[in-house]
Amino acid sequence: MNSHTILSRSMRVARSLVVAVVALITCATSLAPAQAQDAPASSTPAATPTATPTSNANAADAAKPFVERVDLKPLGTIAVQSDGRLKSLSSFAQEMMAFVSGPREINGQDPLFTYLDMLFRPDVYRDADVIYVKGAGPRKRIADALLAAATPESRAALDEQMKAFEKTGLISETLILKPESVAVLREMRGDLIRTEKVVRAIDSAITVKDPRFLLSKLKIVPRGDGDASQEWHGISAVMFADGKEPVPGSMLLLAENKGQPEDLSPEQAAVIGDAWRALVSGWLKGDSNAVNGAIATLGSELPKISAETYPDQTRLGWEYWYFKNDHMTRVWLVYMAASIFLLLGFVWKWPRARTIGLGIFGLAVLLHTIAVMLRWYIADRWPNSNMFEAVTTAAWMGAIGAVAIEWWVRKTAMFSLFALGAAVSGMVALMAAHFLPVQLNPAISNMMPVLHDVWLYIHTNVIIFSYVLIFMAAVSAGIYILHRTFGGAATYARVGGAASLIVSGSHGEERMAKGRAALGEILDGTTMVLMEISFVLLWAGIVMGAIWADHSWGRPWGWDPKEVFALNTFIVFAILVHVRLKAKDKGLWTAWLAVIGAAVMLFNWIVINFVITGLHSYA
Amino acid sequence: MTKPTTRSAKNRAAKNEATPATNDVDLPWWKPWLNHGIAGWTFDLFSSVKFGIWLLALLFIYSSIGSAGIVYPDFDAGTWNIFDPANWAHDQLRQWRGLEMTEFEWFHWWPFDLMMILIAINITVTTLRRIPFKSVNYGVWMIHSGILVLIVGSFIYFGTKVEGDTPVARRQVIATYEDVAADGTKSTREVSFLAAPGTRATSGEGADQVTFEVTTIDPEWELLTGEDKGKRAYSVTVAVTRGEKRYMRQLLVGYPQLTEDLIFTDDPQQPMKRSVKETGNPIFDASMAMRLDYEPQGYFYLRNELVKSWALYVRKPGDREWVERKIDGLPLYNDYIGDRDLVFQQGGDKQLPLDPLDVAVGPTSENDPFQDVEFRINGFLRYAIPRSRFVDGPAGSPLNPVAFVTVASDRGQRQDYRLVARDPDRASADGGLLRFVSIDNETQFAQFTRQPTITIRIPSKGIEIREEIRDVAAANPDAPFVEIKGTEEAGKAAYAYRVSNVRDDVPVGGATVSLAILEVRTPKGLFRRWVFSDPSLTRDVVQPDASDAHGAPTMQDDSIQTFYEPGNGLALVSLVYGPEEGRIRLVSAIGSDAKVVDLKPRETAPLAGGITVRVEELMPRAVLEVKPLVVPREQRERDAMEIFSQILVSAPNTPAEWLEFNRWVFNGPEDVLRRSPYKPMVMRLADGRDVELLFSRQRLPLGTDIALEEFILTSHVGGFTGAMSTIRDYTSAVRFRDPGSSWSEPTTVSVNDPIEHDGLWYFQAQWDPPDTSSDEGIRPSAGLNYTVLGVGNRNGVYIQLLGCVIAVAGMIYAFYVKPVIKRRRQEEVLAGLARNGRKVEA
Repeated sequence: MNSHTILSRSMRVARSLVVAVVALITCATSLAPAQAQDAPASSTPAATPTATPTSNANAADAAKPFVERVDLKPLGTIAVQSDGRLKSLSSFAQEMMAFVSGPREINGQDPLFTYLDMLFRPDVYRDADVIYVKGAGPRKRIADALLAAATPESRAALDEQMKAFEKTGLISETLILKPESVAVLREMRGDLIRTEKVVRAIDSAITVKDPRFLLSKLKIVPRGDGDASQEWHGISAVMFADGKEPVPGSMLLLAENKGQPEDLSPEQAAVIGDAWRALVSGWLKGDSNAVNGAIATLGSELPKISAETYPDQTRLGWEYWYFKNDHMTRVWLVYMAASIFLLLGFVWKWPRARTIGLGIFGLAVLLHTIAVMLRWYIADRWPNSNMFEAVTTAAWMGAIGAVAIEWWVRKTAMFSLFALGAAVSGMVALMAAHFLPVQLNPAISNMMPVLHDVWLYIHTNVIIFSYVLIFMAAVSAGIYILHRTFGGAATYARVGGAASLIVSGSHGEERMAKGRAALGEILDGTTMVLMEISFVLLWAGIVMGAIWADHSWGRPWGWDPKEVFALNTFIVFAILVHVRLKAKDKGLWTAWLAVIGAAVMLFNWIVINFVITGLHSYA
Repeated sequence: MTKPTTRSAKNRAAKNEATPATNDVDLPWWKPWLNHGIAGWTFDLFSSVKFGIWLLALLFIYSSIGSAGIVYPDFDAGTWNIFDPANWAHDQLRQWRGLEMTEFEWFHWWPFDLMMILIAINITVTTLRRIPFKSVNYGVWMIHSGILVLIVGSFIYFGTKVEGDTPVARRQVIATYEDVAADGTKSTREVSFLAAPGTRATSGEGADQVTFEVTTIDPEWELLTGEDKGKRAYSVTVAVTRGEKRYMRQLLVGYPQLTEDLIFTDDPQQPMKRSVKETGNPIFDASMAMRLDYEPQGYFYLRNELVKSWALYVRKPGDREWVERKIDGLPLYNDYIGDRDLVFQQGGDKQLPLDPLDVAVGPTSENDPFQDVEFRINGFLRYAIPRSRFVDGPAGSPLNPVAFVTVASDRGQRQDYRLVARDPDRASADGGLLRFVSIDNETQFAQFTRQPTITIRIPSKGIEIREEIRDVAAANPDAPFVEIKGTEEAGKAAYAYRVSNVRDDVPVGGATVSLAILEVRTPKGLFRRWVFSDPSLTRDVVQPDASDAHGAPTMQDDSIQTFYEPGNGLALVSLVYGPEEGRIRLVSAIGSDAKVVDLKPRETAPLAGGITVRVEELMPRAVLEVKPLVVPREQRERDAMEIFSQILVSAPNTPAEWLEFNRWVFNGPEDVLRRSPYKPMVMRLADGRDVELLFSRQRLPLGTDIALEEFILTSHVGGFTGAMSTIRDYTSAVRFRDPGSSWSEPTTVSVNDPIEHDGLWYFQAQWDPPDTSSDEGIRPSAGLNYTVLGVGNRNGVYIQLLGCVIAVAGMIYAFYVKPVIKRRRQEEVLAGLARNGRKVEA
């Protein structure tokens, strides 16, 4: 068979691949759930408090709505104590608002703005569509019940609102508490397998939305005595300073005056109390100057209460930045660009595209590294203890691994293929982290006691590293299958994997030499290099997990679904190794088994984690 | 594309590189035999890589369906999210009827064992026959031998594995006192009970009875006196009632000298005082000795999730120790009944299939006091809760009207009630606003159409007042006193009264009475009068203590006479059954006059303000049935495991009864841990003997006693707030006591940090969290009163580890060392050829 024909066919395949990737990304972007443009059109909270700009505000500023005139940054970078952690108020507000609105942002507002607005002006949010309902089925059931009970006059408007609800999942508290919705929720609560979780999330949303709850969670006043074993004070503890103007509006009704905390000096309490009152009254009047002044005072005075025990301001500042910037998950776009150029460079053997692709890939790796390091710094522990961290850190490890392998194979025809695999896995992982914040919760929380073990770092990282390599192997294997489907020759890397490089010298002068190796051979070689590393790492990772389990749960092996499917992934690769000995069409068998292995790995990560949770329920 | 020819020399060469054949080697004497017939075929089969691949594929399938079961996507319309569990359907094959296997059992079943044996043989034979033992093959040899060592280690490990859990309480209270019998003989009594809020124990009988109740436990009680001032100790407070004496005793772990009593006072401002302040002596009742001691635990309970380990425990009523009977053949996951009348099922449910069980449970221990009795289990429910339900009895059964009533508003609110006319506790709802009564004759009906009426006579003044009661102080504390005109005297206040409460149909001594409680002011003072519908019971109550009401009637001031005619009490809505069979009337007291409507079941009657009443179902002769209610699958808590299981147990010629599962076996109610059920049952055998039964798990002796010195909860910054995420670690400080020795020094077990004692490993498993229960009758608890430790053995674990390590080393060798060796050889050959002056082509 003419090799020229094969190549040109392969190019056609590759072109269609590029088109497919672009189409996929476009499709995914259009599904992007967050963001302001998706905010419900029908019923949003009344934009801001009645804006009455003060005289000294300049005209341009005055024209801006209140939400834009308020500078929340000094408040966003103060610390709040929540569930055994000290975190920035902005990241905390984002976490809390996620309980209410899931992955949606209200009105495109900063979650901290929404938090405060919901606290100060709860009435505005009663009829606004801010409560997130997960799942198309539950949304439809609620919408149908509401529509069925609607009067003919209200039906048209409600119909519109329900359409928006079914799309965005956002509904108002008034509607969700209507008897007809409540009846549906009661039914759904009874089904613990399918819908009870959805109702529980709605319950939490209603609880969190309650201004009393929002106020009680604002534990932003440090203890004057710096006692770390005691809780920080809520802002309500200094809200009632004696002889002062009471906090306006309904705020007074939200908390009980328990007297001033003994560990705070009256002066400190008065300064904080005054600033808080100024914030509330300024907010209600729409006076951004007063609000900004109060915020600045709170931001500077709160850390002074216990300067020694107050968290590092730089760390809080970075945390604010990191959460503001979507945990840097938008790097998926850079990975996507790298993938496109690398694919072009590989398929068309177009050096410039490859160079550009590698350059972009390098940039993506750099940004991803910053994201991982930043999270490490903020969380004060290596990021690998929840789903978000496992997915993003795994992809990062794959990218770093790819850089190392690329250096090793730089003179072979496999050059840039590992980067391609890592770019695709980085893109997929960060897209998942970006678009599925409900499943891959980006909040930083304390690890459960069982995770405090050195083996968490060893076992988990080895396992997730092997998983990302398996995914990368599936990328080259997938291209191989496409190549073969469209008539590519049944070639394969003769000796296989690393051996083909080692045996033929580190410069790969022989089989894998640039310009000489057939496309299939290069792809198969790439798959095998990755497969061999992941084979060893996976086995070692499973064994390390067993060592941890032995002293943690009392058994090295408990036939937990997650363990079994890690073993199953290994069995697939064991089959691959042996099939490669016996099969005639080694390349195709290898490619298919690599893809199946990756599918089993993904099944373990997705279905076992989210559907069949066993002991490994936290990761 | 070149199609490779299988028999080509080139291919054989390629094949030989990886799996060199042994055909051309000199064969030992036994080899030819292995090359022929069945032996030869078997030998070939076991040295076939393909066979190995098939076995691996089979292992993959077996593991997948055993572990994940069958999972398939089940997408809702319009969603694509594969991370959403709602989009997946799932069924566990191994849990199906007929299999009923735990994960451990599935992976320990004979097909699995057989598969592992075949794999082991396959690996051994193939390695020996096909892979020459030389440096390039060391990797494969290591991998294969590592796997074999792992298989051997696993057979040892899983073959001898026992695993369970053991609850260890922190302290017990031991009370010792001298009891003097009626004839003057003295005896020492000792009572022990668990130190846990709410634990009760009694000792002695009649006037000599002593009751103990643990009221509060503070695990962090701060010492306010003594050398250790400021330190914290575990504090247990016990309420003691001994005849006339009532007091509380506070005991502190490690500080017996600081034990002290608190006594009751008459001062409403300070109802309890330290005895030392009142009597000068910290101990109020010196004849009662009390101390705290360890609560030794000697057993651990096997985990049902590992291997089904059910057991039935028996003892003679009154005995303390239970005797275990192992139950073999009981399922775990599905419901098994032989008759649907044995259970309740929720309406609309798919009916449970009929699938009876017959499991014999005979004695398995010499100590079994019922050696001659074999129990049988004929039913099993995985998840059921005992429920009582009314069913309509046959025509001849006694009258017991029960109505299921719905009150609904036009705003969609709805409330359901079950009312039992002849049960005073269940005849009314919503604080008496709605009630259901049954009448025997029509004259009784009049009562329900009128307001309750009070008649007051002051014969000396010739005054008689008759008044309907509409306002009571119980509902309206500001209700004014009504002055009785014509009773004013100079210097004295007029007679006055107000109705403090009205109670109709109060159960007293098996009968029911109605009464109005009046506050009466006369020249003799202010007092409370209980005016019964039966005037002979009417009395004045000076002390606001209900016990007075049961004494002989006393009158504070008989110059004023009072009579009470019960009306419809406080009820706004009364449903009156009778006197005719099946007749039900609705009496509505909303508004000034009572409205009466004849009501038929499932007919809606309007009340005022858009509210409607409807009798959904009426059972004139209802019979109460108690049966387990089978909870539908989708309503079962996943974490509940087997704790809601029940078995249907019977002895020869006795009716079968449902017996609920108990997580652990306690000797009596005074030993029960918080949140743990204790539901034994006494069954009367056909020969008249009684046997007490308890359904739980098999237990094994620990071989040593274990006690909990203390439980330490460490938390993150800000302390434990109730949120799990604030907890950093759980630590149990435990002591061991081997037979014949005393308690060891405490050693700590915490998460990820187990300890070993006598071949068993102890792991931190569960804890006793604080629990501010608002349930009536349950005392709140600050927690930390017990720990639950996982217990297990781990034979062969190092053999398993050795196998794994050898395999890892082999993999690294095969993938990364072998190519280097090969390359060196290649280079040597090339160098040799070059030396010989031959040109080499790459």
